[in-house]
Amino acid sequence: MSGAPSTSVDAGLDVPRAAPWGRLLAAEVRWVLLRPRTLVMLGLFALIPVLIAIGVTVADRRPGPGRGLIGAVAGNGLVLPVVAMTVALALLLPMAVAMAAADAIAGEAASGTLRGLLLAPVSRLRLVGMKAFGVLVVAVAAVLALAVVGVLAGVLVVGGNQLITLSGTTLGLGEALGRVALVALWTVGQLAAVGAVALAVSAWTEHPLVVLAAVLGGLIVFGVLGAIPTLAWLQPYLLTSGWSAGVDALRDPLPLAGMIDATWRALCYLAIGVAATVSTMLRRDA
Amino acid sequence: MTLTVAAGPVTAVAARVRGVRKVFGSTVAVDDVDLDIPHGAVLGMLGPNGSGKTTLIRMLLGLTRPTAGTVELLGRPVPEAAATVLPHVGALVEGPGFHPFLSGRENLRRVAATEPLLATRAIPAAVDAALERVGLGAAAGRRYRGYSLGMKQRLGLAGALLLPRRLVVLDEPTNGLDPAGTRDVRGIIAELHTDGATVVVSSHLLTEVEATCTHVAVLQSGALIAEGELRGLLDADAAGLVVTTPDVDLAVTTLRAAGIAAYPDDADGPGVVVPAGEPPEVIALLVRAGVAVHEARRRRPRLEELFARLTEPTS
Repeated sequence: MSGAPSTSVDAGLDVPRAAPWGRLLAAEVRWVLLRPRTLVMLGLFALIPVLIAIGVTVADRRPGPGRGLIGAVAGNGLVLPVVAMTVALALLLPMAVAMAAADAIAGEAASGTLRGLLLAPVSRLRLVGMKAFGVLVVAVAAVLALAVVGVLAGVLVVGGNQLITLSGTTLGLGEALGRVALVALWTVGQLAAVGAVALAVSAWTEHPLVVLAAVLGGLIVFGVLGAIPTLAWLQPYLLTSGWSAGVDALRDPLPLAGMIDATWRALCYLAIGVAATVSTMLRRDA
Repeated sequence: MTLTVAAGPVTAVAARVRGVRKVFGSTVAVDDVDLDIPHGAVLGMLGPNGSGKTTLIRMLLGLTRPTAGTVELLGRPVPEAAATVLPHVGALVEGPGFHPFLSGRENLRRVAATEPLLATRAIPAAVDAALERVGLGAAAGRRYRGYSLGMKQRLGLAGALLLPRRLVVLDEPTNGLDPAGTRDVRGIIAELHTDGATVVVSSHLLTEVEATCTHVAVLQSGALIAEGELRGLLDADAAGLVVTTPDVDLAVTTLRAAGIAAYPDDADGPGVVVPAGEPPEVIALLVRAGVAVHEARRRRPRLEELFARLTEPTS
């Protein structure tokens, strides 16, 4: 394409044109990362492992039992990133992803920018791809903040460059970091499922708050359903029921069944979420 | 209109609307509208609030699907061929939409990144040029949050003008603009017209439309009640005489005594409007009665009157 579009205008009218993919994705990521609330949120995620580290170190000086999951961090710093990710996955990470998804489509509609994108035009299918990428970037950044700061705080504040597993064995630094990376990847997968469902809600409404309420409400309902013994048959269908599997990475030998189960479940939710987002977006008025 | 564009095949109509209808629930927003927008025209879309202007524009741009009927833009069906035609269309619909936390320039860059016809390396220059064109050069680095209504509107306009377009659709472009801004918009529309682009402007400001448009389309309650070249519509409605005189009262009584309807009107200085009557007879009557006639001219109705007559129920 030349610098003077006026000459290429006539030739171009028969060919559908689209802005390059890379440029669209870059613009989306830039928009996501320039948003102040994204940055504040990432900062808060980085604070979680630091706070746990300080808490554990202070509590450790006092005698007493308290050997819960967080207690396992005491003197065993490399456990910290895994614990931080597991704790955050319960509510904070899904909320962050829901927020990103809420801004992605419903937020754009609310600020009147969605029609600008569709008028450019960005095809509706590409728009879903672009938005999904933006949400995924937020999920990855949040998990990375937890994992990286978790490792640093674990090693520097709590101490210990080996990982003592819950099974009592000891892992070297390399393998410990591998386990942290595995949990981070697995967590991003779970968040992708949350993000896909949140995007579907986002495509359907123009109020960002509805997305946040739907995802948080859904999590709470899932949690309650999962806690009712007579509804045990529901467990395999609830996304949240496998969310404690990340802790499996602290066992030796590594039991993968729980994480794999949860990943399959996440893939189902992801497929449903993406399908719902696409079909809603294709029909949406902007 | 016989305006031709630089090169290539030129479609005679920039947009063609046939039997378009849009129903929201039980309300009919647009009712069976047929409209041709000639290539190179500046079409003013008029109508009271809620008359369906914006809905029609949204269907024209493929943002909303018509309940019935077809829309063609630059000779291609919309929304089916949106990917083909929309790159050539610039639009400001339902007010400017931008992100408050980004600067004007950053907002516009984001818009530019999605423009299919803009080469990546041409983006910074195109953004700066568009900002200059709408007079936002100095405020480009400020956050959109702090922009005044008029500046927001200018930024919206800049988004539509990022690259040369074949069709520019401006929904209420002068909303919130000061007189200087209104004049700027008028200038921009004139430039687009000179460059051969087709322009569709919806506006409440009839004087604006009168000053800038070659064609008008008047909507009411979703129906198209008048359409065509502005001059033709006004001429068809021309009748009567305007007499400029300081002796308004005497003139009115004289004419009424002679059985000729007349009413005072000081739109352009003191004067009398004679809606019907032969000019020589009227002037002779006035002069004989001792009325100082400064000027007498055929009344060319203002668009405002035409509009009022078309859209207001006659009692």
